[in-house]
Amino acid sequence: MGQVWMPDIDKTMTGGAWRFEGTLDVDWELCPYQASKAFGKESARKLTYIERMEALKMLALQPLDPDFHKKVQRGDFLIGDDRTGYGHDHEHACIALRGAGIGTVLCEGTNVNFRRNSIHHGLPVVVVKGIMSAAKTGDTLEVNLVEGWVKNLTSSKTLTFKPWPEFVLDIIRKGGLYPWLREETPATNQSAVA
Amino acid sequence: MAGKNVIQKILARSVGKPSVETGDFVHVRSNCITTVGGDGDGRGLGQLDPNAKPSVFDPQRIGIVVGHAGAGGMPRTAGNHRRKMRQWAETVGVPRENIFDLGSQGVEHVIAGEQAWALPGEVYLSIVDGHTTALGALGGFAVALSYGAAEYITKGYTWIEVPPVARITLTGRTKPGVFARDVYEYVLGQIGPNGTPSQVIVWDGDYVRDLDMDARFTLCANALFSSAWTNIIEPDDVTLDYVRTRTNKALVPLYGDADAEYEQQLRFDVSDIEPQVVPPPERHRAAAVSKHAGLKISKAHIGTCANGRYEDLKLAAMVLKGRKIHPDVMLNITAGSTAVYRRCLDEGLIGIFMDAGVFLPPASCGMCAGGKNTPLADGDVCISSGTCNYPGRMGSSKADIYLASPATVAASAVTGEITDPRQLL
Repeated sequence: MGQVWMPDIDKTMTGGAWRFEGTLDVDWELCPYQASKAFGKESARKLTYIERMEALKMLALQPLDPDFHKKVQRGDFLIGDDRTGYGHDHEHACIALRGAGIGTVLCEGTNVNFRRNSIHHGLPVVVVKGIMSAAKTGDTLEVNLVEGWVKNLTSSKTLTFKPWPEFVLDIIRKGGLYPWLREETPATNQSAVA
Repeated sequence: MAGKNVIQKILARSVGKPSVETGDFVHVRSNCITTVGGDGDGRGLGQLDPNAKPSVFDPQRIGIVVGHAGAGGMPRTAGNHRRKMRQWAETVGVPRENIFDLGSQGVEHVIAGEQAWALPGEVYLSIVDGHTTALGALGGFAVALSYGAAEYITKGYTWIEVPPVARITLTGRTKPGVFARDVYEYVLGQIGPNGTPSQVIVWDGDYVRDLDMDARFTLCANALFSSAWTNIIEPDDVTLDYVRTRTNKALVPLYGDADAEYEQQLRFDVSDIEPQVVPPPERHRAAAVSKHAGLKISKAHIGTCANGRYEDLKLAAMVLKGRKIHPDVMLNITAGSTAVYRRCLDEGLIGIFMDAGVFLPPASCGMCAGGKNTPLADGDVCISSGTCNYPGRMGSSKADIYLASPATVAASAVTGEITDPRQLL
């Protein structure tokens, strides 16, 4: 994955919260699809994965906050409602959020395609019931993906969630599906099979 | 203990276990051909090295379809990407008969149905997009692999979490002029964008049983908009007749137990549903056509994985026969597959469309695939049987997209404004 920043999910992660209400469609609020195509398959020059990540960062959450990419800090958390990652299984939004430095997406609800695509791009997405009322933009959060809890240091509220199984955490650790596949050994593969 | 739903049964058989529970993480395999889009970089497949053997677990079980760009696509897509995919197919050994390139192209999900690549009781995986769910109409577990394709292509299995299942029972008969697309949009409007979060919808009830296969594909094409992973119609004689005319493969359909476990059970009576129109930009705010009737349009589109099959185009022809498209409107009708186009030719539909002044590109995803084909310009107002109405879906982000059934789109194209199709049927 080159020099792409990755969250260290084996430690408790600390970062700021960015809370957005309502639908977060992958093709609009999270990363406008039409604009993203300039950095995609039909761009004048084939971009590398890292170049694409850097370019799509500018579009992350753009319809809701055009300056989001300037304000968000590496390791911050995206807090979303029960329609986070809504719509198509387009994965450009996952790349945009990783490019913006989002450490983990914490949401009231999402769908399988967004969750799987995000994991496969090395972006953790977890459903945390009550997160929308437990965090506001600007709060500082601690998140432990392995143990399954989030603590709001600003309000001292703690919420828990079901952690991902070890093989999914391992895909995230490696930075996504492709680097995971390249490194995977038969032994780890067997342990992953239920 | 509750019985097993059809998804639990399909997934259990796929992993070779007596049973699975909702929430289990399992690695599923598939007996079906997996569909790969032939005109993009295949959702991350471009990162695979075709020379690293073995790079594909079973090339016999790969199908390649040129659909999203078709012949109307961007030069790079229809040129370079197609060639790249053909070279990849050649290198890894995908059989020529599994490749539907220009000349036999179409929407991936339409061709996968025509070829019976998805089968009752089986896991069907596609690398194309979220509308893979259309194939759930054939009674299998049909999901998109998306960016996760590489694991499946190289190893022959993919990890999944056994999903919860929602049962939605549709009863009654629709009024004349109301079609499966209207029923789907109405139900989505009722249950909302998070109505079936990460669930699989099982559609049943006497309304569903009476639908032909084309209407069932329509009902199943858009499951993702209530945040469902996919949906399924348990197979009946309609399904089995359709599949058996297309494949000799052995079929062992599966059905949920009478006391199966469901996350939720909903019922809707379709008898009072009106033709629906979904205004931009949110996907789920369907309303009766009367609410938007009279709104001037500049473009109209019929086709796509949702409504690009023969029965959809026949419906359009019923409205358009002997009529002309309004001079201020461009109506693009794009058949969902070359076979659909051919049948329209044989049955006289193409003549009706040409006499009406319809623009008829070759089979593909049409205008819905990101505006590759007659894209919307700033200020355009379009009514479409496509899948999405978010800004920029069909071209300019400064254009409005209204979604409706092929009948409503055709009627609106004739009058130049959003129109109740019953006035022209």
